Amino acid sequence: MNKTLLAAILCLFTFIGHGAEISGVIQLSALKADPQHNWQQQGTGILRQNQSGLNLQQALLDVSQSLIGGLEIEAVFNLHEDGEKHLGLTQASLRYKPLSPSPYKFRARAGFFYPEMSFENPGTGWLSPYTYTQSAINSWLGEELRLAGLELGIYSPGRQRRSPWSWELYAGAFRGNDPLGTLLSWRGWAMHDRQSLHHDRVLFAALPAVTDRIIHPAWVEPFHEIDGRTGFYIGGHLEYYNKSRFRYYYYDNNADPLAFNSQRLYAWHTKFHSVAFSQQIGEHIRLLGQWMTGSTEMGVRWVYADLNAWYLMLSHRIERHRFSLRYDHFSISEDDIWPWDYNDSHGEGLTLNWRYQFDQHWQVGIEQHINNSSATNRMTVGEPINSDQQQTLAVLEFRW
Amino acid sequence: MLKRCLCILSCLLSLPALATELAVTVLTEDGKPMPGAVIYLTSEQALPGVEEGAVATMDQVNKQFAPHILVVQKGTQVSFPNSDSIQHHVYSFSAAKTFQLQLYKDNNPAPLPFDAEGKVELGCNVHDWMLGYIYVVDTPYFGQTNKKGQLSLNIADGDYRLHIRHPRIEEASANLDRNLSIHADEQVAIQLKQPLLPGLNEFEDDTDEFIGYE
Repeated sequence: MNKTLLAAILCLFTFIGHGAEISGVIQLSALKADPQHNWQQQGTGILRQNQSGLNLQQALLDVSQSLIGGLEIEAVFNLHEDGEKHLGLTQASLRYKPLSPSPYKFRARAGFFYPEMSFENPGTGWLSPYTYTQSAINSWLGEELRLAGLELGIYSPGRQRRSPWSWELYAGAFRGNDPLGTLLSWRGWAMHDRQSLHHDRVLFAALPAVTDRIIHPAWVEPFHEIDGRTGFYIGGHLEYYNKSRFRYYYYDNNADPLAFNSQRLYAWHTKFHSVAFSQQIGEHIRLLGQWMTGSTEMGVRWVYADLNAWYLMLSHRIERHRFSLRYDHFSISEDDIWPWDYNDSHGEGLTLNWRYQFDQHWQVGIEQHINNSSATNRMTVGEPINSDQQQTLAVLEFRW
Repeated sequence: MLKRCLCILSCLLSLPALATELAVTVLTEDGKPMPGAVIYLTSEQALPGVEEGAVATMDQVNKQFAPHILVVQKGTQVSFPNSDSIQHHVYSFSAAKTFQLQLYKDNNPAPLPFDAEGKVELGCNVHDWMLGYIYVVDTPYFGQTNKKGQLSLNIADGDYRLHIRHPRIEEASANLDRNLSIHADEQVAIQLKQPLLPGLNEFEDDTDEFIGYE
């Protein structure tokens, strides 16, 4: 389904061609990396890079085009230096937001997109304007969650009702996200800013339990439809002026955990609640946070794990400077019937970021990140269960 | 020669002399100055029309309309530049002017004519909290009160009807409008009888530069 939708959207773009809004972001980074091999090299580290040097941190193009009658089409193309696939789509959607004089309005989206459950990623191409290394929650959403489907929403801007309160309600149905949960179960949470492309393949450590006993590849292609069942989510936003923002989502991919495809990728039944807030606590100071709790299951509780993660982030802007500090806490707790397949993991991370905006095009930033994590299954590949990692990033960004 | 002089003199005398000052003070129901109130004078006598090619500006700055309230004479063109680096989609469903305008970054569309009297309420379909107003009046005598709730207008002598408008004023216009016969400098003080509607000015506060996914 997602391939059909993407093809349709791309054809439409080709057809329109003229007058599109094009934005782009390029980030070049100088990295002092932690040497532990990460999941992309089938190691067990939870950071994106393990070699110091110059990297292409981000390169993306966001193309949008307004059509008639409140329709808008948008696609985001990313170029990755690392990973298994390097160029492709991370989002493509057709949005419908008709003009209406009513204080109660309707909107819809169809395509391949993120539910708007987080406050960390309002930047172009779902990037974070706060840190380069994203929270554990949004690192995971970026690599394993995307929905090919339809979202319907009603919303009411408070100012139009002479009220400080605005609200939005959403319900969505989707397919093409059945392997969601694979990475959390067998790798655990990670912290990075690499968003999976629509046709991407994400590696993880070749755990003997996975590759030898379950006969599952040591990678996942997150955006497959495996069982033919439709997932759903609901969400609600509440805002007080533009100062206080709150979002709740319940997400259930409704996968059949017994289904698998010819690649032996399983459908994981993954469901979770997400609560997020963004609160102004002073002039140009905001406190942001998110908490996610849920579970993922493969087989008849062959693999079953509770997932939990939260973060708190303080961000302060002083003229052209922005300082952000985030603390992350995350865990995976197994409760299943295969004792030889270890899934327990937990950890925490601290990220401190400074960014300086020269003008509307150029920005520089420096970030220090440290984390410690523990994953029981590391011992099955001969590595210590506990790991401390840290990295320093200096980033030059150009956007247009 | 004499005929010519008399002719010029007669023409000059026939022009309205804007020598009379009308000072208006608007107070809220609880006696505080009312800033931003739209004041205008209409008359049954012919008043000068809008200057040809007159253009007023309603800008988009920091995801807000700037100014929040714009008053223009009927027939004025209004331009909608976009001083933000993001897209806006301005619209109005008001009877006085129904329109929509996509404001792409770095692209300023041609001004729109505002040819009908009335209040035009503006919104943005991208940023739902944006709200602005254009009052289109059929007179050259208009303005907005300052922070002290005061406005001074230089007008020609004559009979007028004074109008007071503001989005936060709930009272019927018949209770506020009044007839004036102006033949010398005059001061008028008006106190509203009902409380103002909530201002919700905090929607204009700069609280976060990263809002929404648009």
